[in-house]
Amino acid sequence: MPQLLPFYFVNQLTFAFVVLMIMVYVFSKYILPMFTELFLTRMYITKL
Amino acid sequence: MSFLLHSPLEQFEVSSLVNLQLPVLGYTNISLTNLGLYTIIAVYLSLAFHFVASNNKSVIPSRWSISLESSFASVHSLVKAQIGAANEVYLPFIYSLFFFILFANLSGNVPYGFTVTTSIIVALGLSVTIFLGVTILSLSLHKLHFFSFFVPTGAPTALIPLLVPIEIISYLARAVSLGVRLFANMVAGHTLLKILSGFLAPMFTSGIIAAVVTLLPFTIFVALIGLEIAVSFIQAYVFCILTASYLKDAIDLH
Repeated sequence: MPQLLPFYFVNQLTFAFVVLMIMVYVFSKYILPMFTELFLTRMYITKL
Repeated sequence: MSFLLHSPLEQFEVSSLVNLQLPVLGYTNISLTNLGLYTIIAVYLSLAFHFVASNNKSVIPSRWSISLESSFASVHSLVKAQIGAANEVYLPFIYSLFFFILFANLSGNVPYGFTVTTSIIVALGLSVTIFLGVTILSLSLHKLHFFSFFVPTGAPTALIPLLVPIEIISYLARAVSLGVRLFANMVAGHTLLKILSGFLAPMFTSGIIAAVVTLLPFTIFVALIGLEIAVSFIQAYVFCILTASYLKDAIDLH
């Protein structure tokens, strides 16, 4: 089974974790606050 | 006929695209593999989807931003329902995990694409890391009281010596089951598609009558591709909801 060949294990883990950490950083810093701001704006427009 | 001799598992081989070999620290091999390329593609697609569909933060949504906002609302409600509104600090992690797994699965459904989550080390690496992180979080929050998690509430005292080892084993099994569930679903689906396409391709090319007759099994094959796309969404969702559930168990201990 080719998935059990250990030569690229470290490479695979490194890519997966680095990429996931980049995503967590970008989502938490830029994209998710944008959603929160948008929903808050809509709520203020409808309530006020 | 020659491709029938190839194994349906060949599609999961990790191969190097760009290689840098340095005779330092013994022997250093830094390579961009097909798996590395597809992780970059997955993160590029998920971030690009968010930037393109954001509709310039306009209050009035476009069709694309409606899909984005509904996916945010789904993951947000998942986190609030499982972990609680006081623990929304875990939303970025669950959200990133969902989109990474989703786009990794979907990019593998493109013909000749590589599915990152068919790598056992990626799937198990994610699940073991999540398991260790959740256990460390629970130990830091509850200290020794964490071990009360293995004693089910309302259990008769005489049965506790039997129940505690079973609870410990089922807790330890979470580390493996979370990753293997994702891995096995993806590998099984892609292996099936490879085997069926290995039969359909020569049938299509062996004459006009055979090609017309092959249309019926081909419709079943197309339905299976649709099933694979659905499984991609479902497996990303199941992975995230179980991660949120394990976080809830770690924070609340019940």
